[in-house]
Amino acid sequence: MENAWLIPLFPLVSFVILLLIGKQLKERSAYVGILATFVSLVFSIVVLFQRFFEPTYSAKFNWLTIGDLHITAGFEVNQLNALMLFIVSLVSFLVHTYSKGYMHGDERFSVFYVYLGLFTFAMLGLVISPNLLQTYIFWELVGLGSFLLIGFYFYKEEAKAAAKKAFIMTRIGDVGLFIGMILLFWQTKSFEYSEIFKAVNAGQVSGTMITLTAILIFVGAVGKSGQFPLHSWLPDAMEGPTPVSALIHAATMVAAGVYLVAALFPLFLASKTALLTIAIIGAFTAIFAASIGLVQTDIKRVLAYSTVSQLGYMMFALGSAGYVAGVFHLMTHAFFKALLFLAAGSVIHAVGGNQDIEKMGGLWKKLKLTGPLFLIGTLAISGVPLLSGFFSKDEILAAAWEGGHPILFLLALIAAFFTAFYMFRLFFLVFTGEFRGKDEKHVHESPGSMTFPMIVLGVLAIVGGYVNTPWFGSYLGDWLVQGNAKLGSGHAEGPVWIQLAATLFSLGGSFFAWLIYGKRSVSRDWLSGKGGILHTILLNKYYIDEFYQMTIVAISKGISYLFRFIDVFLVEGLVKLVTSIIQGLGKLGAKLQSGQVQTYGAVAFLGLAVLVVIFALTGGYLR
Amino acid sequence: MSSVPASAFLALALILFCIGLYGALTKRNTVIVLISIELMLNAVNINLVTFSKYGLNPSITGQVFTLFAMAVGAAEAAVGLAILMSVYRNKKTVHIDEMDEMKN
Amino acid sequence: MTFSGEFFASMVLALVAIIGGVLLLNLNKVVHMVVALIFTFVSIAGIYILLSAEFVAAVQVLIYSGAVTIIMLFGIMLTKPYDESEEPTGKWRKIILAIGIVGFAFAVYLGIYNFDIPQVQTVLHENNTMQIGKAIYSKFIIPFEFVSVLLLVALIGAIVLAKREDKEGEKE
Repeated sequence: MENAWLIPLFPLVSFVILLLIGKQLKERSAYVGILATFVSLVFSIVVLFQRFFEPTYSAKFNWLTIGDLHITAGFEVNQLNALMLFIVSLVSFLVHTYSKGYMHGDERFSVFYVYLGLFTFAMLGLVISPNLLQTYIFWELVGLGSFLLIGFYFYKEEAKAAAKKAFIMTRIGDVGLFIGMILLFWQTKSFEYSEIFKAVNAGQVSGTMITLTAILIFVGAVGKSGQFPLHSWLPDAMEGPTPVSALIHAATMVAAGVYLVAALFPLFLASKTALLTIAIIGAFTAIFAASIGLVQTDIKRVLAYSTVSQLGYMMFALGSAGYVAGVFHLMTHAFFKALLFLAAGSVIHAVGGNQDIEKMGGLWKKLKLTGPLFLIGTLAISGVPLLSGFFSKDEILAAAWEGGHPILFLLALIAAFFTAFYMFRLFFLVFTGEFRGKDEKHVHESPGSMTFPMIVLGVLAIVGGYVNTPWFGSYLGDWLVQGNAKLGSGHAEGPVWIQLAATLFSLGGSFFAWLIYGKRSVSRDWLSGKGGILHTILLNKYYIDEFYQMTIVAISKGISYLFRFIDVFLVEGLVKLVTSIIQGLGKLGAKLQSGQVQTYGAVAFLGLAVLVVIFALTGGYLR
Repeated sequence: MSSVPASAFLALALILFCIGLYGALTKRNTVIVLISIELMLNAVNINLVTFSKYGLNPSITGQVFTLFAMAVGAAEAAVGLAILMSVYRNKKTVHIDEMDEMKN
Repeated sequence: MTFSGEFFASMVLALVAIIGGVLLLNLNKVVHMVVALIFTFVSIAGIYILLSAEFVAAVQVLIYSGAVTIIMLFGIMLTKPYDESEEPTGKWRKIILAIGIVGFAFAVYLGIYNFDIPQVQTVLHENNTMQIGKAIYSKFIIPFEFVSVLLLVALIGAIVLAKREDKEGEKE
């Protein structure tokens, strides 16, 4: 555990190596990346197991000393960090492996691995940071990695725009985080989590200030985790390569927001208002994104909205004081959403780059491996009993019920219904029925390097939930809150009917989807025909982007034009004036530097003459 | 004892010095510039010799210094002319305003 | 101020020296300028005699009126100076310079005007050359040796500088 700091370094080494000699290695770059992440994974597993039996380990050294303030850097291995290390390095390793097949033949193959290495380093560094400042640094670094990877196909206009959008929208959130961080530092004189919690618990910080900082930090999480209203970058980020979507925009980076809230959970616990805000935003995002997901036709976008919705779930869980539920769902979601994305990537790979589900269908027979794995992911995310998603979702709902937000609880339940519906809609449209695209013969199963990670994730998506069940004991939950009573009990014990209701809703959604898209006993146009306006609104994602375009973007554009005007005519004018004066002086000087000895002599003598005359007239030897 | 006051010689030296200075700063021909400089040296020598005779402690030192100055002046004239030759060979001009090597 | 022969001689010599200087500035041909300057140099030698410095006067005639003038004439001869008269040097510069010099001269003249330094009886004119010799070879022996080194260096330097480099170029 003392050497946990090595874990992020392996991807960094891979990053540096590939940066230097990636061009020569070409496709062999993959092995470097895979090896590095594999070593990280092994270390992470070791650290995770050690953490089961040993207390939290943390190390730090003084980084900056400003007067009495000591800003430290270091690392910490607590339960949450160990778990996150495991999740991140696992998904990262699998995605590295998967990309070897998926990105095969790409011109910038090694560059892709360079970016992946950078991102993995940053993400692993993020999850072992013991203080806010370090967290913030890695937080921005993962943002950079995400930006680079979304814009990987930079020759596509959409990818460029998406990368910019992702960068700017997350930056809006980051400003909140930054302000919150500085406020906390101002109040507690420390960036360190432990110090901050100590100060908060000791009542050194006023209640209003706690609420303010908590909400500001939550704003950062909102940006990163794609919560409403900063969610719209995440679906657009699907322009990146699919493995990236799986790694960054499903399992790890977007979960960083949830992680941040979880890491600072004692701070949030100290403010009821902040918790309520989180719960409301989380629940709203969950149902809001799920409803959009109902009608999207791009396979990756459906998954993206699903991700937004599930992240909303996690936030909702945390907001309902369900620390364990949130983290638990974060873990299971990482498994099954990464699985779904990788499977989707496999499907896209199979049909030759097409992402439109209207042009798929009947792939079950063709993709003997991908199909069942996708089904596992679908079942897991829908919350069908006995799979991982069921347990974590149940945990969240129980926590919500205990948290005492009946309306939000209802929303979450409906979101669960939606989730089941759109996931099975996706499944039936892609895998059953007739193939609706062209080139049916071309459809082929993916290579082993792509199926292997999916199988691993598939297994985890099934069994991942059994670490924390109401039936066999809540090991994960007990372990997570061990030694920290503030985080609440290990397991939220809800009434049995919650489980039944959740099961009912998810099965209902699945059944409904089957009726429409599987059995086709209900016309597909039934929904879109009945609620024509609603359908259009959903298809256009509630016109959120357009709304932003017309309000915030327009306003900021107006302001920018104003500033541009000022800049061009006022600032630049002043600058030009200054520069032209200096330039004129320079030209004059250059003219004086004529190289004419006589001129130099004349000027020097005239200077002397003037001095002598002045001296003679004003005093000197005459007086 | 002399009936001529020291200031007369000093004034002569001043006038010659100013003529030499004006010539050195305005003439185009480098040879003339060099000669003007010699004239300025001469003016200074007059001062030296004057002060070797006048004053409370007349001494031969002033005349000796004049001799040294003449030696240096002669050497300067020789080297100056040699430099002029060298420049003339390269630039085919003796006009001082065309020798602007310091500019570049 | 008595109107003695010495005074008269000094006035004439000074006048000739100044006329030589003015001619230097105003003549058109370079050779004429140098010749005009010979008058100045010779009159300065006369002034030296008036100031009881016979040896310096002799050296002045030898070095300036003789050697330096001849060197300058050679320099003029070797550099083919034409179009001396047309001086494109700015008129304004000349005027400003003239004003500056006049101002300078005025300032200095204020200093030497009525500059009455006490005079004592001197023996400079008795065996002047011997006195100089004694001083040079006793009190100023080291500077004197340095002057010999200086002249040697100037000699070598002048030869090196004036030597034709074309031949070396041809050899290479």
